[in-house]
Amino acid sequence: MTEHSEQGTLFRSRKFTDWPTVKEALISKEVGGVFILAPMAMQLVADGVPIKVVYLGHRDGTAIVVGKDSGITDFGGLRGKTIAIPSRYANQNVLIHRLMRQWNIGEDDIDIRELPPPEHPTALQSGSIDAYIVGEPFAAKAEVDGFGRVLYHTKDIWPEFISCVLVVRDDLIEEHHELVQELVDGIAKSGLWLDESQEHRMDAAEIAAKNYYFQKPELLKYVLSKPVDRVKYTNLTPLREEFDSIMELAFEIGVLSRRVAFEEYADDSFALAATKKAWDLQQLPRPEETP
Amino acid sequence: MKRKVLFGTIVWTLLITLLHVQLNVGWSRLVHEAKVLVSGEREELIVGFLPVT
Repeated sequence: MTEHSEQGTLFRSRKFTDWPTVKEALISKEVGGVFILAPMAMQLVADGVPIKVVYLGHRDGTAIVVGKDSGITDFGGLRGKTIAIPSRYANQNVLIHRLMRQWNIGEDDIDIRELPPPEHPTALQSGSIDAYIVGEPFAAKAEVDGFGRVLYHTKDIWPEFISCVLVVRDDLIEEHHELVQELVDGIAKSGLWLDESQEHRMDAAEIAAKNYYFQKPELLKYVLSKPVDRVKYTNLTPLREEFDSIMELAFEIGVLSRRVAFEEYADDSFALAATKKAWDLQQLPRPEETP
Repeated sequence: MKRKVLFGTIVWTLLITLLHVQLNVGWSRLVHEAKVLVSGEREELIVGFLPVT
């Protein structure tokens, strides 16, 4: 599927199913940008991959899920249990370690296991894990299917949680600055539109379910409405203070090979430029309406 | 002699240009950018994503 901006630029999306392939596509310049895990973006830069974080994908939209009848009522209940994370380079991993510190739980007291996000709900249902932390819609999946329960939404334990960020290649920033700005503007505008009304969110769920996620629209509608602030698509400028805090903790727990300065991996100029623009928000065109 | 120098310069410049396109730019990108410039074809950007929010 393709989308075009008001300037006529074609923005094509490419779906990936695992993080290593995403990384390779970026290095080999198959893609200009990618929505990638925040600590992974930092590590890629530490490894010498020339990219910059220019925008956030969303805020919150992650939950810790336990079995519906597990009897676990707080994070302390996960002591001695197995919990799945999407990747060691995920901010979800950083959050689990942050919670372990808050609850005085040692490194060996929780078995943290990496699993691809789509496998989290089935692993919980089969009993091979006791809990998982993942981005939507896979947290909601266990709720909707009736075997899981949200222990915490990130909005309640780490407000404005950052999961995926938009990174673009440095050469694109240098040679096609306006193209990157168009992309960021488009995402910013879509986010404003999404968070403007519940009706817009339901429309978006239909479009995304059909064209991008290949999930039932009902699941995405659930994600975007129960509760309504479960995931947010505004306030997406990468902020130094937040990223420094993620970077520091990621370094301390051994996810990052070295400390990385904000300027090395982030360029907030596109986001700042986007926030200064005032758009006339109209309903996004349906895919079949795009020329 | 003058003609030889001129010819040599042209060939040398051509070779360097071809080498630059081959090594640093890429032929497909050159063709695409030329189309954008000449025939008004749309700029294109591929953005990857994983279906997790």
